[in-house]
Amino acid sequence: MKKLSHLLAAGAAALTTGLTALPTQAAQGSCSEPIVFGTTISETGPFSTLADRWRKMTEVFAEEVNKSGGIAVKACNKKLPLKFVVYDDQSVPATAVALFEKMATVDKVDFFVGPDWSSLGGPVPPVAEKHKIPMVMANVATPSVYDRGLKYVWGTPFPVVPNWSVRYFDMLSKVSPKPQTIFFITHDNPVMKGITATWSKKAEAQGLKVLGNETFSSELKDFTALIAKVRAAKADVIYISSYDNASVPLVQQMRQLKVRAMDVHHTMLTGALSRQVGKDIEGMTGELSWYPGVKGAYSDLVETVMKRSDVSMFDYIWTLSRLTSYLAMIQGIEKAGVVDREKVKEALFKATIKSPAGDVTFDERGFPNTSAFTVQMSGGKVNVVWPPEVSTAKLVWPSPSWK
Amino acid sequence: MEVLLQVLIGGILLGGLYALVAFGLSLIYGVVRILNFAHGTLLAVSGVLASLAYSGWQMHPVLIVALLAPLLFVCAYGYYHVLLRPLARRSHFEATVGTVLVTVGTLMILSDLTAVAAGATQRNIPLRLEALEFGDIVVSTTQLLILLGIAVLTVVMHLILKRTWFGRAVRAVTQDPVGAQICGVQSTRMKALTFAFGSATVAIAAVLYVLSFPVDPYMGFGLTVKAFTIIVVGGVGNLPGALLAGIFLGVAEGLTGLYWKPEWAPALSVILMLLMLVAYPKGVGAKT
Repeated sequence: MKKLSHLLAAGAAALTTGLTALPTQAAQGSCSEPIVFGTTISETGPFSTLADRWRKMTEVFAEEVNKSGGIAVKACNKKLPLKFVVYDDQSVPATAVALFEKMATVDKVDFFVGPDWSSLGGPVPPVAEKHKIPMVMANVATPSVYDRGLKYVWGTPFPVVPNWSVRYFDMLSKVSPKPQTIFFITHDNPVMKGITATWSKKAEAQGLKVLGNETFSSELKDFTALIAKVRAAKADVIYISSYDNASVPLVQQMRQLKVRAMDVHHTMLTGALSRQVGKDIEGMTGELSWYPGVKGAYSDLVETVMKRSDVSMFDYIWTLSRLTSYLAMIQGIEKAGVVDREKVKEALFKATIKSPAGDVTFDERGFPNTSAFTVQMSGGKVNVVWPPEVSTAKLVWPSPSWK
Repeated sequence: MEVLLQVLIGGILLGGLYALVAFGLSLIYGVVRILNFAHGTLLAVSGVLASLAYSGWQMHPVLIVALLAPLLFVCAYGYYHVLLRPLARRSHFEATVGTVLVTVGTLMILSDLTAVAAGATQRNIPLRLEALEFGDIVVSTTQLLILLGIAVLTVVMHLILKRTWFGRAVRAVTQDPVGAQICGVQSTRMKALTFAFGSATVAIAAVLYVLSFPVDPYMGFGLTVKAFTIIVVGGVGNLPGALLAGIFLGVAEGLTGLYWKPEWAPALSVILMLLMLVAYPKGVGAKT
């Protein structure tokens, strides 16, 4: 009996020791196991309209990568298949934190990709730092998120605020007749205010006279006063820095009240805006991170994945950021040449990675230099119009619909 | 000067819509003595339904009103009997708190159900008529027609309340429920009918509203606050007073946007309501 109790105690001790000594990561350096990416997607909750098709898209992405054998790992002298662990973060930061913790300790994923949105990008990275798991976040564009001395975290939001309209303002400097004045209309939101603050300064530096900057809240439905000011200013360019949904009545009432300009530019010219305002969107310009038809690294893969998962770039404008986070991690592993978190971390530090929209370079904080193409609505379709070398249609200038 | 005129015209058009939202609420409070916090949400949800009917089946707005108004009448009649009427048997305090809980709960449930069923994005009826231009001033023909409709509706509702048996009964219950009962007016039935009638007017307000501005399932409470402000300024049960108060609020919001900042316009109604409560506790045009 005594022997039995000793055995039981020894067994329990061994089990306890074994459990606590279990590695909190997968078999790093293994050449026989798939490489596992852990991620969360906002399939429910307030952000779900932006991402509800991304689980299917992520599964298709893995299938397409694995069709060619997977991710090339030099140390193994072969390609290893890619596997995803995906959870729904419900658009809730606390849920996302718990799920990433679970993926680190229970699922034991090799690397993290995602999450999206700055509200999640704030609390989630400490999980990656704690477990020393490299993480490439997707749509986390707020620079301050990266200003915390993070060592294992990078981001691929398209575009970042400092580069948001870089191609549009390049276009404004080259079109004829050249615009002389600009009026900013800004949605009362930190990101949109940041865009206006950045680009109103750059507009002035470029020689454009800023005639005004009006801010509006999401609750505002009657824009008569604001539009009366815009009409009175008679600006050549009207720059709307706003989320798509908030600006629906603004765009509609600008049409009703016959606002005239060479161009009306919207920082989020999306399928949702188009569906809600209908023909009123005709002739407007905007930004799009990338569009099928624009050739670049991995563009065929991305086009195939989007087509197979029925994701339209115009409807899900943040898709490229999401897919580029996967591509960045794959390239980090390939550069490291081994499935080793520390080596991959070193490979991603200040790295330049390839994407369909061009090279993406991370600074020492892990913040990228991504920008967007300028698009114009024409005949109910969205066309890339700038830069000319990748355009899918010729820019119509000045916009005839705002004459 | 052109800018000011443009803003004044816009304010009048917007105020007319606000007044229409307030009509039903004013009537309900005047007779049933219930602060219906779900009134604005009922408009938002009706607006979403109207937009879906227009985009899905290309229904004419008049037909949408013809279908929505009886539907809301029946639903509101049943809602009053099932959820609100039993509260009348409670103490005054319990009944007051109970009605707040029931109507606020309804507000939340209606908003969430609509968002789940139809999405939380904004919707409207993009019926566009050619705008009228007078120099630098542009007037939306659609909104002018809407204002005309509101004026006609105000007159019709005023006549209903003044000239019909239903209107006289409503006013009798408002002034003296016991006396009205003695004279053969069934006050409980009248309260239910008034609640249903006031809710049915929301159908008209909703369709006129979505012809000008987008609605979403969660915007209703803001409209309710505006409607309360109009009642406070215009006086309970005073429809012409509500119309004037609505226009006053619409113009004040427009001028706030013009001379100060547009983002402060939505808060103006609350500030106005507080000022009016302090200065005129019974309303400028209060009627009993």
